[in-house]
Amino acid sequence: MAKTKQPKLPEIGQWPDRLAPAAIIGALVLTTVGFLMAFFYAVPVNGAAVNGAELIGGSMVTSKLLLSQKIFYFHMPVAITSMVVMVFMAYYCIRYLTTREQRFDMCAKVCMEVALLFVIATMITGEMWTRFEWGVWWTWEPRLTTYLILTILVIAYFILRTAIDDPERRGVFAAVFGLISFLDVPITFMVTRIIPSSLHPVVMRESGMTLDMGLTVAVCAVGFLLLAFGLYRFRFRGQRLAERTQALKEALDE
Amino acid sequence: MASKPSAWRQYKILLAKDLRREFHTKDMITSMGVYALLVLIIYGAALGQTSSSLDVLQMSGGLLWALFVLTSLLGLNRSFSYEREAAALDGILLVPMDRGAIFLAKATSNFLFMLVVEVIALPVFWFFFLANTGLPASMPYVAVPLLLGTIGMAGVGTLLSTITAATRGKDILLAVLFIPLIFPLLYACVTATTAVLVGSVDFMDAFFPSVALSAGYDVVMLLASWALYDFVISA
Amino acid sequence: MTNAAITTSKLTKRFGDRKAVDAVSLEVPTGAFLSIFGPNGAGKTTLLRILSTAMHATEGSVQVAGFDVREQPDDVRAHIGLISHDPMLYPDLSALENLMVFAQLYGVPNPEQRCLDLLDAVGLKHRRLDVARTFSRGMTQRLSIARALIHDPEVVFLDEPYSGLDPHAVDVFDQLLASQREGRTFVMVSHDLQKGLQLCTHALVMAKGKVVSFQPKDAMDEAAFAEVYRQTVGAGVA
Repeated sequence: MAKTKQPKLPEIGQWPDRLAPAAIIGALVLTTVGFLMAFFYAVPVNGAAVNGAELIGGSMVTSKLLLSQKIFYFHMPVAITSMVVMVFMAYYCIRYLTTREQRFDMCAKVCMEVALLFVIATMITGEMWTRFEWGVWWTWEPRLTTYLILTILVIAYFILRTAIDDPERRGVFAAVFGLISFLDVPITFMVTRIIPSSLHPVVMRESGMTLDMGLTVAVCAVGFLLLAFGLYRFRFRGQRLAERTQALKEALDE
Repeated sequence: MASKPSAWRQYKILLAKDLRREFHTKDMITSMGVYALLVLIIYGAALGQTSSSLDVLQMSGGLLWALFVLTSLLGLNRSFSYEREAAALDGILLVPMDRGAIFLAKATSNFLFMLVVEVIALPVFWFFFLANTGLPASMPYVAVPLLLGTIGMAGVGTLLSTITAATRGKDILLAVLFIPLIFPLLYACVTATTAVLVGSVDFMDAFFPSVALSAGYDVVMLLASWALYDFVISA
Repeated sequence: MTNAAITTSKLTKRFGDRKAVDAVSLEVPTGAFLSIFGPNGAGKTTLLRILSTAMHATEGSVQVAGFDVREQPDDVRAHIGLISHDPMLYPDLSALENLMVFAQLYGVPNPEQRCLDLLDAVGLKHRRLDVARTFSRGMTQRLSIARALIHDPEVVFLDEPYSGLDPHAVDVFDQLLASQREGRTFVMVSHDLQKGLQLCTHALVMAKGKVVSFQPKDAMDEAAFAEVYRQTVGAGVA
């Protein structure tokens, strides 16, 4: 029977390309503002900046520790951004599986590349956090564990891609793995969160943010989301141009 | 004129085919079994400096599951390489049949082979490392994480080995995809198994949530694997 | 049911920007033997994969044995067989067990008898209990024919069936094929021009995914065909 109408494909020159440069500039401005806010606007948690060591809430606190709290303003927005990018990745995987249009495979791949960047950034900021806040280099804490697994899954996704030559098969396998990895992430978090570990009890961070904290996080989050969007679009553009060049070369060969 | 058999019947034919093949060659069980034994020997060296069985007992869940994961990887790698060896899978795909039946048949045969090896390896492990600690009363409960873990590994592993059997460097690739994906299941099963083996009075505190989460993982991942299998096998 | 065993209309398969099969419209009558020729990358194998339900087309429609490959793939599969350069068998199962698996999966009535009859027809009855791994290439290919015909398909696809066969095995293969011709439609992809021409009733030449020439053999001007073949495939007709 007649094929259903062609889906609209993402292509160079559509509206996102016009927004991308503005998004990058906006991202730079907002993350800088966020950075400044984190240090000058957001009130230090637990009240005060301390000189030397002091006893706060039953534990020795140093100024270094209080500064470490500032990492949070970058760690959390970066983590949120990586999750949002993963959602888009999953969306493009589904689009690819239902349409078999290579373009969606490319979109999913570019999403995964951007996600890798943000996942690694989350790992690094998280790692700084554990070092300064808890005094250990590594702990199998739920969030860190989840991000470690996510990092490996994203890297595995790229290893899988390089192991397949046939583009259609590569697209399908990558999309299926992308989707199942996407499902795996919340399960990993739940499992490591709910099951008590005998060595490292789940660290409950004080929940609830004051207005100034929330605002700082929001500014940074918007900044990083814009950055992710801009990066995605520029990368997509580059990939698509390379693909077109390749098609032209092949056409000339014939 | 041929009439299409039911999906259930086709599932049984495919499963019987895998079992008959194993009966002829015995290569899955022997290779997995020998491999399990080799890992146990490595454990012998690794645990040589532990002073008492109690030290080992704390780690026993983890050690057992490391053993199970490694042997399962070996079996999973094989289970699809012989389908692809002479392209028999392409022949199967030409038969009018629900692709879900292919997935379930393969997952079942993988599950059975893994389970056989685990049931043999568990007492051997006990004999080698824990013989003088005595069996805890909670021992029978070990069947629960064993079953749930093996179901999950067989389900996800079947999907992934279908993928990697059609790629270059498939052996290492399966491990790269498989281990992070089953991490949550592994974590839960290790906790449950350790709780049973240590067998303290309040072992249910750790056992129950772990087992519940393993079951949840199995449901979600099996459904996802089953739903995505059609795409993978036809590619 | 129409008279045509295979009908395609504006069949197109796109991989990214490249069209592997480009607007191919064909009508192959029942009982015909179609040979598909073309250089590497002409889209022959892609076309065969679409016809045998292994791959979806991007656009256009295909009917095989009266069924639409997109809408009713299982009905199509029940009426087609495929013989390829890969045997599509389990090397560790015996010849009989291999056939039995497929006979049962297809739901062939009285499967055991059907398998034995076919093994007899391909001359492997005396080896029925031996594992397929021990067979020579020619024997494997004969077993592969039995597998493809187990459910008595109306349309049989042949994908480079001669690769790896020695001359004697080729002769045996041809005789077997000839004995199974009746009432069936064959579609063959082969690089062997002579074999393809000798067997076929219709010839199709493809290049860059497009149909260059499609005609019945009796109406064919051999010299003109040779010229078309030389231009597209780049090799002379012997």
